[in-house]
Parts: sequence; structure tokens; C-alpha cells
Amino acid sequence: MKKATWGAGVVAAGVALLASPASAQTVLTTAPLNVSVTVGNQARITLTGSVDFADADPDVFPTLTATPLDVQARARVAPATTVNLTVMGGASHFDPATNTIPVANLTWTSTGTGFTANGTMSDAAQQSVGSWTGPGAHSGTQTYSLVNSWAYAPGSHGMTLTYTLSTP
Amino acid sequence: MRHAFLAVWLAIVSAVAALAQTATATMAVTLNSVARVSFSTLTVAFPDANPDAVPQVAAVPASIDISAKARAPRNAQVTLTLQSEDDLRSGITVLPASLITWTATGAGFVGGTVSPAAAQLVGSWTGSGVRSGTQSFRFENRWTHPSGTYTLTLVYTLSAP
Repeated sequence: MKKATWGAGVVAAGVALLASPASAQTVLTTAPLNVSVTVGNQARITLTGSVDFADADPDVFPTLTATPLDVQARARVAPATTVNLTVMGGASHFDPATNTIPVANLTWTSTGTGFTANGTMSDAAQQSVGSWTGPGAHSGTQTYSLVNSWAYAPGSHGMTLTYTLSTP
Repeated sequence: MRHAFLAVWLAIVSAVAALAQTATATMAVTLNSVARVSFSTLTVAFPDANPDAVPQVAAVPASIDISAKARAPRNAQVTLTLQSEDDLRSGITVLPASLITWTATGAGFVGGTVSPAAAQLVGSWTGSGVRSGTQSFRFENRWTHPSGTYTLTLVYTLSAP
């Protein structure tokens, strides 16, 4: 008899537990998890295309124009940090042996937000291509032009232009 | 002899009376709702990476083990959610917490996107039990993110009706 009575008591307690109303969720417990993200300075310049000037009659084409060069400058920096993109010629002349085509005869116009509208190449100082504030990816084009002169020495000449993305 | 007989009879009656007695006992079993959430680590970190090479940065550690224990009413739905206390902050610089997403393994566990605005479901189950799973967090890496070290705290909540 005692056993039966105790058994009924256990069942009654169980029923009481299960009879909780199915209402809104009640918070049983909480736990925190800490998250940290490191975003470091990063920079990349992407140039798509090439700058080629085909031979042409100086009288007919006093200025040679190359196919536009796609320029993408990406920089991840702190907010309010100035990002500068510059370019500099690798030599004073395209033809170092004869020195008839000065680097300053190479000019350009640009499109794209933050890109300098136009410029003249130099081997003595960095020339601004664009400037922005804070992090971002900036795309634009540069269209190079070269003065075409009868004074140029015949031949195929080249020069390396170095682009630099920097912060002050 | 009569006295002796009477004495024996009384003893028998007494014994029978003892056998017929009933007794009641009341047992109170208090089963409070108990719950516990535990992780294999209390900190996850996303290292710096080039956005071109790693557009989605995996957290370190790559995954965390989650154990959600709950004693809840039978057939009641037990849910585990997480909500960030804020967006990612580095001083006054803010990145959306939604840049962090996760995938999950384990029965009842689901993937999602971190939000400071609303609790996001991590897993749901029915009734009491111990549920184990993993979460693998990723951070959307962009060139437009200002550099800095950002932090936030995720609050996991285990609940039941």
C-alpha cells in the first residue's frame, strides 16, 4: 500500500512539471562569445592595358594617342587617411641613346572620381594620378598622348612607368 | 483458561488491526528548468587578409564546438539564438555586424548572419536534452573597410516555453 501511494506521488509531480503553459519563450540561460576582427592596411594597383603609340606622320598626327589604360587603385587604410596614386617615368628620354623624345612629351588625361584630370610625365618627380580619402577601391582611365615630332630618332623606344600608391 | 483464551484473541485482533492500517506519504519532486550553453572557446578572431585573395576570412579557430543542455517541458521547443550586442567597433569606426556569417553542423543547428537588431536562430530542438554542434564563422573582407581592430560580443540565449 505504501508503495502504491509513493508511486502516485511521483506521477503527480511529473504531471505538474509537464503542465506548464505553452506560452512565450522564457530565457533559460545566456552565454557570451567575444569576437575580434583585425583589418590591416592593404593596397593594390591594377593596370589593365598597355600604352603603345604607332608610327604616324607628324604633320598628319602631331599628337599620338594611346588606347585608354584602365587604372584601379585599392587601399584599405584608416578613416580620413589620404591615399595618393602617383606615376613617374623611368628615364629622361624614351630613346636614351639619342635623347630625342623627352619624357615630358608624354601627357595624359584621366577619368574617374578622384583621378587627376591631366598631367605631364616626369622622371624627376612623382606626378599625381589620383587622390582619395579613406579606404576604398577607385577605378578610372588614363589616356596617354605623345607629342609627335619630326625631330624624333627612328626606332622602337620604350620606357617603364612606375605607379605608386601611398599614404602620407 | 478463559483468560488465556481472551488474551490470545485480543492479540489476534490487534494484529489484524495493524495489517489493515493505511499510511500516506507525499513526495515533492522539484524539477526546475535547467539550461547551460558552453563553447570550446570563448573568443574567436579574424586575422587580417588581402580582400582579393581572401574575400571571406575564416575565424580562428575555424569552428567552435557548442553544447546546449536544457531541461524543458516535454514537447516544448528549445531554441538557441545569438545576437550581437552592437556592430563591430574600432574606436569610433563602425562596421556592420552582418559582415559576420556562420555555417553550422549538428542536428538542429542552422547557419545565419549576425545581427545586433534581432536574435538569430542557432538551433532548435524539442524537449530536454543535450545538443552538440559546431559553428564556423566568416567575415566578409572588403577594400572599403577602414583598417583597425574591431570587436563585438555575441550573446547566446537558450530559451524554452
